[in-house]
Amino acid sequence: MKEKVKIFLESDILEKYLLGDTTKEESQKAERYIAMYPDVRETYEVLQKNLETFANMYAKKTPEGLKDIIIASARKETMVSKRYMRYAVAASIAIMIFAGSSLFFWNQNKTLQEENTLVTNQIKYLEDNMKDQLADMRNQFIVLNNPATKKYQVRGEREAKELKAIAYINPVKKLSYINVSNVPELPEDKCFQMWAEVNGELVNLGVIKDFDEKDKLLALPYADNAVGYITIEPKGGNNIPSVDNIVANINY
Amino acid sequence: MSTLIERHIVSLLEEKDDKAISLLYENYGDTLFGVAFKVVKDEDLAQDVLQESFIKIWKKADTYDASKAKLFTWLFRIVRNTAIDKLRSVTNKSDKEIQIDVSDVYNVGVKAINPEHLDIQENLDKIEDKYRIVLEALFFEGMTQQEASDELDIPLGTIKSRLKIGLRELGKIYGTTMSLLLILNLLS
Repeated sequence: MKEKVKIFLESDILEKYLLGDTTKEESQKAERYIAMYPDVRETYEVLQKNLETFANMYAKKTPEGLKDIIIASARKETMVSKRYMRYAVAASIAIMIFAGSSLFFWNQNKTLQEENTLVTNQIKYLEDNMKDQLADMRNQFIVLNNPATKKYQVRGEREAKELKAIAYINPVKKLSYINVSNVPELPEDKCFQMWAEVNGELVNLGVIKDFDEKDKLLALPYADNAVGYITIEPKGGNNIPSVDNIVANINY
Repeated sequence: MSTLIERHIVSLLEEKDDKAISLLYENYGDTLFGVAFKVVKDEDLAQDVLQESFIKIWKKADTYDASKAKLFTWLFRIVRNTAIDKLRSVTNKSDKEIQIDVSDVYNVGVKAINPEHLDIQENLDKIEDKYRIVLEALFFEGMTQQEASDELDIPLGTIKSRLKIGLRELGKIYGTTMSLLLILNLLS
């Protein structure tokens, strides 16, 4: 450790530090050694004393009136810095207001952009929906007007004897529709559900609602030799049809 | 170890009390003016340097750290650097006006010495020229040790050792002067 201190003292870092000629790294090193090693601290103290002695040797009487000029300059500087502080405070407030309003407008812009996206999506959805409905209407029109369309009367069986439906099948246009015209009353926990067996796969066509769908043509998935079923299922519909509860068959 | 007056000035500086400037001027003004003059070698320029330095001292008062340097060391650094900067800016403007001639630097004019410091002038004479030349080049010319070595045509190692010995010699002289003054005071 003593060797380290000796090497440091033999270098000129401390002398350079005394005069303020050190680099940042050298200053940090000098300050560390001064704080840690009493020998270095003592040497630094001596150097400081000697610097003052050396500088005193060159002392020169200051000119008359210089003191007043310097004191006046210092006072002026204080006033300028106070004024500067006032400007700085005003500028800070202005910046804060600007930042606040920027944030407000940014937020508003963001909200508007989000709303814009929402509205665009809604329009797109409505457009798609409208197109689907138009296509459906067009198909219904074709089915009902095309001479190749065959009409099948569907009657319910067992507890659904009152069920009446008409299926429209057009093998040329490969379109099939059904209109359920009369749905018998069922207990509250039951409902009618439509299915279609297309190429060996059962497709759920959904629950027949009592009133809404009476005058509606419901599209059936088309396939050659497909079979449609109506079953009675628990309220809300079922994932697979209850074979025992088939109340109507539509072969098309 | 700081003196009472040093501590008083430092506390006034911290409080931004402009009495600090007055006290600094009274206690260190002549020495700092001497330092500035020694560097710029022109009385008017030295006045400008001292004025600029005091403004810097006043503005930087809150950066002074008593644990890192004595008050005088801090003041000296500011004045010395301001003077070196001033000299460089003036030299750049007109090389002819001020010549940094090594021979000028080492001539301490008798007129420049205040009678109050004559005893110190005697001491200055006691420092051998070879040490004084090195100390002045480093302290007042703002030369690095390498620059001083090149300028004075003295090996770098010799510059380093003369700086150390020169400063040590100062300590001895200072010690002797203080002892003599003490004896004289006791006798009177």
